[in-house]
Amino acid sequence: MLYLIVLGFYMCFIVWTSIKSLKQAESMTDFTTGGHRMGLLLGIGTTTATWVSVASVMGVPGYLYSNGVSAIIGWVAGWFLATALIPLVAYKIRRPETPARTFPEYIHHRFEPFRKVSHLRTIVGTLMFIGYFLFVHLQVVGFGIVFATITGIDYQFAIFAFLIFLLFTSIGGFWSVAATDTLNTILIVVGVILGGGAVLAATGGWQNIIDTISTTTSPTIVGGEAIPEGSMITPVGTFGLGALFAIFISNSLGATVSPHWVTRMLAPKNIKVAVLQIMGSILILTAIFIPLIIMGLGAKTLIPSLPAGKTTDYIIPVIVQEYAPPLVGAMTLVALCAAAVSSANSMLLHCATSLYYDVYLNIFPKKKINEKKFNMNLRIGMFVIAIFAVVSAITPPWFLAMGFTYVYGGFGAVFFLVVVLGLYWKRMNRAGAYVSMLTGFFTYILAQVIGLTNPFLIAVSASLVGVLLVVFFTKKPPVEAYEPYFKADVSESTKQTIKDIQNKTDNNITSVNSKDTRKNA
Amino acid sequence: MLIALMIWVAIIVFSLTLGTFLCFRIEKHGVKRWGATGSLFRYEPKREE
Repeated sequence: MLYLIVLGFYMCFIVWTSIKSLKQAESMTDFTTGGHRMGLLLGIGTTTATWVSVASVMGVPGYLYSNGVSAIIGWVAGWFLATALIPLVAYKIRRPETPARTFPEYIHHRFEPFRKVSHLRTIVGTLMFIGYFLFVHLQVVGFGIVFATITGIDYQFAIFAFLIFLLFTSIGGFWSVAATDTLNTILIVVGVILGGGAVLAATGGWQNIIDTISTTTSPTIVGGEAIPEGSMITPVGTFGLGALFAIFISNSLGATVSPHWVTRMLAPKNIKVAVLQIMGSILILTAIFIPLIIMGLGAKTLIPSLPAGKTTDYIIPVIVQEYAPPLVGAMTLVALCAAAVSSANSMLLHCATSLYYDVYLNIFPKKKINEKKFNMNLRIGMFVIAIFAVVSAITPPWFLAMGFTYVYGGFGAVFFLVVVLGLYWKRMNRAGAYVSMLTGFFTYILAQVIGLTNPFLIAVSASLVGVLLVVFFTKKPPVEAYEPYFKADVSESTKQTIKDIQNKTDNNITSVNSKDTRKNA
Repeated sequence: MLIALMIWVAIIVFSLTLGTFLCFRIEKHGVKRWGATGSLFRYEPKREE
């Protein structure tokens, strides 16, 4: 009962913040990147909440429970390295006086600045839609597991409750997402610290946890295969060095160039705020992951094997319900819900924006629409996508954390070179971008289908070879394409080119009742 | 166990060092639009500036 009351309070909080933010009229730029004026505190809050998804709070403890400390290297260290490298993207991508508003818009400007209809932008928008749909799908799965645990409703029905949360958190656009994210971050920090403390107390202390994982051979699932003694304490675990390295590299390099992180770097008011927001987030994330590691490893001491029919993604809800005091358990489970909601709303926004703004309006540049209608269409789009994501999650196909690794690997395979070389190598051109993206995409899919150990690394290597061959045999890019990312002051023709690209879409979207209601984040 | 934790800690230290270095570079460039304020971790220019 207490679980339901705490969940009810959380639901009221979501509804209240969303309705409040709805009263703020948002321009199209506000809706997508917050108008490039986000301050540090809100930036840290929204970055942390987007970062912490169900893969972090349920998937990673699940792998810690089944595979031991090797999950720290594969996922925790991998994602932290990604976060550490994101400032290198921020340092360059925020240089233009009027930065891009979406990731595909950056691709358009950097590689096809004079094209009215950018095919590269369409390809990027479409791939983003697919990737973020899968991400939202995974959040729905995680939410469904927690909601089913709290309410006792069947998972297949519990997932539909997610629509209520998504409806409210997504309708307000970027600022609504940022505001609820910041409060979700506080809930997540409090919830996991309480949960970690409860598990530590129940196990009898850290030394007991270490002793158990050093000697246990209990199978992960009742009736399953016994795990080798000592494997949970070794850095490689039962993964094997090659597989663990593949997971680490996909999570680190793949996540660094994921479009939602690139877009997040477009929201802060300047480059330094973007860098500082990542540094601040790293500190908060450390405070979140210490209790998560304690919970994941401690669970092996408390529940040596999960009952048949449950996946390791259930370990945190199960352990919290059985071993934490009711209020602490409720707070921890609400923290898991907050992690799902805060990541899903942000990813839904990317999903709908890429499809509507970067694909549809790019292909049909003559469509006229006012700003109010634009925002309304985006909201409808988000809700429709959310419905599809929920329906697709009725039969969950993946483990949460591994699902993220696959998508991050895919994003990295396709976008790594267009982001890194596009920002740091003047010579990188349009032909190179096409070759890099298409080679990366098809090689990654092929490597996954064949079952090779490191599809991400193979795809990026193949892309790099293709890019180097193509770039030196084709024309240099025009100065308008790279100048803003390398110089503080740019030529008049470059300024005009950026203006033309942004006006192209702005001409479709005429401003009605748009006023900047917030001067500062 | 220790190796896994040390890799994680090393990455956290690397992140903070890289961030500080980039803030230093921004200050060195002196471009206010990029966030140069005259102070390494100050993120907003003073009003009188």
